[in-house]
Formats: sequence, structure tokens, C-alpha cells
Amino acid sequence: MFSMTRRQFMTYSARLAAMTGLGASAVPKIGLALQSLASGQAPLVWLQGQSCSGCSVSLLNAAHPDPASILMRYISLQFHGTLSTATGDLGMAVLNANIKQGNYLLAVEGSVPAAMPEACVIGAEPYNKLLLRAASAAQAVVAVGACAGFGGIPGAENNPTGALSVKEFLNKNQVGKPIIVLPGCPVHPDWLVGTLVHVLKFGVPSLNADGAPLMFYERLVHDQCPRFSDYEREHFARFFSDEGCLFKLGCLGPVTHADCPKRLWNSGTNFCINAGAPCIGCSAKTFAQKASLPFFRKVEQIKDKAAGA
Amino acid sequence: MAEKIEIDPITRIEGHLAVSVEVEEGRVARAFCKGEMFRGFELILKGRDPLDAQQITQRICGVCPVSHGMASVLAQEQAYGITPNENGRLVRNLILGANYLQSHIIHFYHLSAVDFIDLEAIAQYQGKDAALNEFKAWVGTQKASSVVAPGAPFLPRYAGDYLDGTDANITAIKHYLEGLRMRALAHQMAALFAGKLPHVASLVPGGVTERVTTQKIAAYGAMLQELRSFINRSYLPDVMSVAAGFPSYFKLGKGCGNFLAYGAFAESADNSRKYLPAGVVIGGRLAEFDPRQITEDVKYSYYQSASGLAPAAGQTVPRPGKPDAYTWLKAPRYKGMAMEVGPLSRILIAYLSGTDPEVRQAVDHGLNQLNRSTEDLDSAMGRHAARAIECKLVADQCARWLDQLKPGEPACVDFTIPRSGQGVGLCEAPRGALGHWLAIDDYKIASYQCVVPTTWNCSPKDDQGHPGPVEQALIGTPIANAAQPIEAARVVRSFDPCLACAVH
Repeated sequence: MFSMTRRQFMTYSARLAAMTGLGASAVPKIGLALQSLASGQAPLVWLQGQSCSGCSVSLLNAAHPDPASILMRYISLQFHGTLSTATGDLGMAVLNANIKQGNYLLAVEGSVPAAMPEACVIGAEPYNKLLLRAASAAQAVVAVGACAGFGGIPGAENNPTGALSVKEFLNKNQVGKPIIVLPGCPVHPDWLVGTLVHVLKFGVPSLNADGAPLMFYERLVHDQCPRFSDYEREHFARFFSDEGCLFKLGCLGPVTHADCPKRLWNSGTNFCINAGAPCIGCSAKTFAQKASLPFFRKVEQIKDKAAGA
Repeated sequence: MAEKIEIDPITRIEGHLAVSVEVEEGRVARAFCKGEMFRGFELILKGRDPLDAQQITQRICGVCPVSHGMASVLAQEQAYGITPNENGRLVRNLILGANYLQSHIIHFYHLSAVDFIDLEAIAQYQGKDAALNEFKAWVGTQKASSVVAPGAPFLPRYAGDYLDGTDANITAIKHYLEGLRMRALAHQMAALFAGKLPHVASLVPGGVTERVTTQKIAAYGAMLQELRSFINRSYLPDVMSVAAGFPSYFKLGKGCGNFLAYGAFAESADNSRKYLPAGVVIGGRLAEFDPRQITEDVKYSYYQSASGLAPAAGQTVPRPGKPDAYTWLKAPRYKGMAMEVGPLSRILIAYLSGTDPEVRQAVDHGLNQLNRSTEDLDSAMGRHAARAIECKLVADQCARWLDQLKPGEPACVDFTIPRSGQGVGLCEAPRGALGHWLAIDDYKIASYQCVVPTTWNCSPKDDQGHPGPVEQALIGTPIANAAQPIEAARVVRSFDPCLACAVH
């Protein structure tokens, strides 16, 4: 790829665009992405709305490539509120110059306070406006994590800000951009880095109906669970730290699509169910949305017990 | 005539903070901290299952989720009338301790140090280190490229007085890069018992769901060894060299002079004894901490709820655009006074309480090396020094707690949730005192209020008009160049602000 002629390069890009269903109009843009990748300079702008920065911290837990390699070999991280040395007006100048030039990848962390624009302000501008400006000029948008992906906890029942996912908000405002959704609370660094590299090298990966890459979110947690045999034998954990399938403690593995049981977290160290904790469904669209679907089932058991006694 | 400077956004902190300062005769005369993002966690928690709380509150903050999880399980344990067993207590200390290490390392190297060390010095590097040569080559390529901001996210930066001497800068840059791996290692170490990070899975009332095995003890021990080596050989010396290069910052950024800690790292099952003790320092005198003295003012905050409420009776009713208000942070006060929280407060309180000779020794040793007194710690540079000293102390304690674990024994006790109850969970996040106030009614959360470290530090003026700790610390800071107010940014960052936490 590094020694391609321009002609070969455009042919290659066209093939990729066809493969990923983006059509001919997308070719020049992806071509630009490939060129900038070849020089390690694919510009990426990272915005944070109603976020906890947990997805940013998770990105820093990337192992191979590690964060320094990502910054020096894959992307040119033009702006990131938690990492950029540039602060205040200087930071805004970098951000605005990028928006003016366009053609970057936009990564968005956090939900959008659609019904209360005052609930998120950056550089004296309501975040909602800034996001529309930044998304309009972007090649593509990556909605990182549960909040950007599906609204997450800021978008849960009883929330006061009318928080929306990035896709819902952009659709509502007629900003049509290719959007990749990477749910999870936080996002797994492999899901994010793997997707970015795929977009830059091969275009948009195959996505499920919600816009999440199938290569990470195709299968149910339950189907890959190390305690699946306990489930089949109806050997259920009765209390926290007990052995057995965690289903009766509220495990949401049966309704959650992610590859955590195979991929594991923190450089292959562990994951929720291995640590005896029921899956709380953090990559599911329903994550934390309703009080009527709690993470754990302890209280119901007690009430059942009381009702039966 | 005052000149108004807006630093908006303050990057390299967690979350959305803007700082507005008014400069008179070259120095800050007035300062305003503006928390710019609100989600409404306390409203979202209402009516939910109490066990949702330790998971939901962790999502207040991706940098210190462990502390929120801890505060929540402590509040619930009080409401349920249980205490964790020995393994449960120790594993929690190990998870919390590991997150202190990752948080302190990221705060110094990746958030703060680039205000002091000269990143441009990499161009002068002549050695053979592969990582440094890659960085040097990359900066060169970037400068020749057509990207909008070559060298981002490291450049551009404010013009200013950066550290002198190529060697010291190159060493710090090398440790910046190594620090990226070290902070990830600290998370990996925590995940052995936590399941994953950020946002841990295993914390529950009664202990932790993960089991204690010999293999996990050995793995944690090996990772801890690597981290302790980095802290002792890189982090502490780098803080010393930055401190030596910027002596004026021991005189700048003096805070409100009052210090508060709730204490952290349980040394007894009921959490009454803690490795880092609770306490308050007012007017230089150590006193006992009384949680009943905490109230929150909202005159200058975007809330229409009543002002001056105690957290147990607290309310969160948003009112964006409220006249005179300038922030989403409430203004917590102790006996009506602004209080600074964080590693400096914890270290001062531990030092003055004198219960642990090792704390005294570590602080005295650090101060000797710096040729400073305890009074100098109340400053921008003092906060960095206190944080580094604490990092070393906590890492040392992690080794002790690890030794006390008993493989194969339970790390969790069972419990029943009562129909109604109340609890207060008091803990310390890496950046300061953290409290959760919980009330349960009909098995559901009736009220949940969080008073968070940066709520204390970045608080606005209270109803009496007294500014918050960071606002006070900024007053008197000289600003050489109004277009590039690096001095103010350095003072603000010394507090390690976390705005997602502060507003929630």
C-alpha cells in the first residue's frame, strides 16, 4: 500500500467503497483516509458530550497497539479534551480549524442533552451546536460507548436533560453521515481501535441493525459464557460470589451482544462474569434505561420469599 | 481596570470546566469556576433498585469509578446492617489502591506535566532509545505534514517558561510514554479482582464477587512490583525535578487553607479505622471530622432547590439560565467554610494526626529533598508533591494488604435489603473526599445525593459570597500573557479537577 501509484490507490479505494456499500460518491473521501493512514496522519477529532471520560480512559488501556503507537502510527489526534495540550482559546482554535478544513473522523463520547442545551457547553458554545458543526464536516462519525451509542445512563428513565444518542440527535437534525456505533460502558479498547483501523484501512466494517460492527457485537455473551455449562445443568448461583450460572442473580448475558467472554478486558485479564459478577448488559440498547429492569435480582428474591412465607 | 480572561475549555482535566479570571495589575483579582456539564444522576437513581447504585454511580466518572462504587457499597452496607469480611475489605483496598496509582500517574504525566516539561526538547535527542527516536521522528514528520495541528495532541501549547535542560526534559518525555503503559498496568492489576476497568464489576455490598486465589495474589504482586519501581525511580524523581525547576509554584496556588478528608482504605471491618485517616484542618489545627457539618449552597448554581441543605436532605432541581448562577456545581461547605480536598488534605491530616510514622517519614523525607516546610505544601507545586508521596505510600500499603489475603476463603457476605433504611458512604477518590447519602423506601431508592471531591474544590461562591478553593487559589496568580494564561492553568490543574464527578 505504501508504494501504490495514485491510479492503483484510487482503484483500491473504489473496490473498498463497493465492498462496504458506500457507493461511488464516497470514494474520494475514503481515498483521503487511506492516504493519510499511509503517512500515519489520518486526522481524528474527539468530542465529549455528556460523558464520564471512561471510554477515553479505556482507550488508554489499549495493549497492542498501545496508546503511543495509536497516536504516532495510526491517527493524528487533532483534538481531545482530556489529552490535548492546547487549552482554552488555543484548543478551540485547533478544533475550529479542523472543522473548517473537514475530512476527519469524528469520535464522539457521551450523549447529547437535546432538551437542555445548557447542560453541556464547550468554549461558550452549546455542545449540541458544536456537535452539529463538527459532524457536518466529518467524513464519518464513530459513536463511542453506551452514552454516544444509545443514550446510556444520561438518557435513562427520569433523566432531566432529554439526553439522546449521537445517531438519534444527528438524524433529528438531518445531518446524514455514516455512523458506526460502539456500545459498551465503557467501550473495549479493542472494539474502538479495531474499528478505527478497519475504517482507515478497509472502510466501514459490516454492521448490525444498530450500526455496531459485527466483528465485535455479533454473538450473545450468554452463548460464549464460561458458565454456560452451569446454565445447561441448571446449576445457578444463589448469592454473590457463589458458584454456578449467574442468571438468577440477574445476569443479562442472554440479551447482550458482545465478545467479552472471549476477548476479556484489560489485556486479557478478566471480565465481569469471570469475576463472579452478573453481566449488566452495558453494550445492549436497553442498558440502564428502565428502573423496571434492574442489574441484579436480589430484591425480587426477597420479595418472593416474603410473599411465599 | 480589570482585564477578563476566559480559559474555556480547560483541557487535560476530566470533563467540562471553564475558568474566568479578572486580572488587575498583572495578577488575578477574581476567579470563577464554571462546571459546564450536567446529567442528573441523582434524579435518575430515584426509584431504582438500591443495588443499581454501585453500578450507576461508577458511571459518574470514568477516572475514579472505583471510589464511587466504594462509597455506594459503604452507604448500602450501613443501610443493610452488614460489614464485609477480611478478604472483602482487603480486596477492596487493593482495587481502590490500584486505581489511585493509575489516577496519580495519569494526572502527573499526561494531564499536568506538559505544562512544565518542554516537549519540543525531543528535537535535540541524540540517544538510542527506540521509543524516544520514534517520537522524535514522528514530531518531525508531523511538522512537515499538512495536518491542521502538527504534533497534536502534544502540540500546540501555550508559550511559556518550560523546564530548562535537555536531559531533564528527555527523561520526563520518556517517562510520559512509559507512564501510559504503567497506568494501564495499574488498571490491569485492579482488574484481577475487579473484573474490568474502568467501571468495575465485582464491587457489591458485603465485599466483592471475585474470589481470592494464589494465582491472583502472585499476578497482582508482580504487577505491583513493576509499578512501585516506576513510582520510586521515575514518578517521584520527576516531580522533584519539576519542583526544583519551578520554585515559584510553591508560592502560587495557595488554597483556602482549610483541609478536609473522610479517610480511605479500611483497616477494620466496620471501616472505623482507615489507613488514611479522616479529619479536618482549620487554621492549621487538626480536628475531628463531623459529617453533620456538611451543607450545600446553590445561590450561584443552576438549581432552584433550596440552599444550605445537608446532603441527606439534599435536592437537585435544575434551573438552567438561573440569574446570577454561573455553574452546574453546588457549593459544599463545612461549618459554612470552603474546604480543600485531595491528596494534599489527606497527607496533611495523616501527617498531623501522627498515627503512622511511615507517613511522617515519607513527608519529611520529601520536604527535606525539596528543602521545603509543610507550609509550602499548600501551593500548586505542593499538591503535586503530596500526590506523588501519597502514590508511593499507597503502593507500599497495597503490598501489605496483598500479604494479608487468605486464598480460598470467602470475600463476600450475604445480606438482605430492608424495606426502608438509610446509609452514608464516606470514602476518598484519588482527587479527594467523596460521600454518598442514600435513603431506601419500599425497597427502592428514595433519595441519593453525592458530594464529590471536585464539588468541594471547584465550587462556586457560597451564599455568603465566599469563593471556592480553586477560585481562592487563583487569586494573586501573576498572568504574564493574557492570551496564554499558562500560570492559571497550572494552578487549576494542580487540584486534579474532575468535572463529570463534580456535577454528576
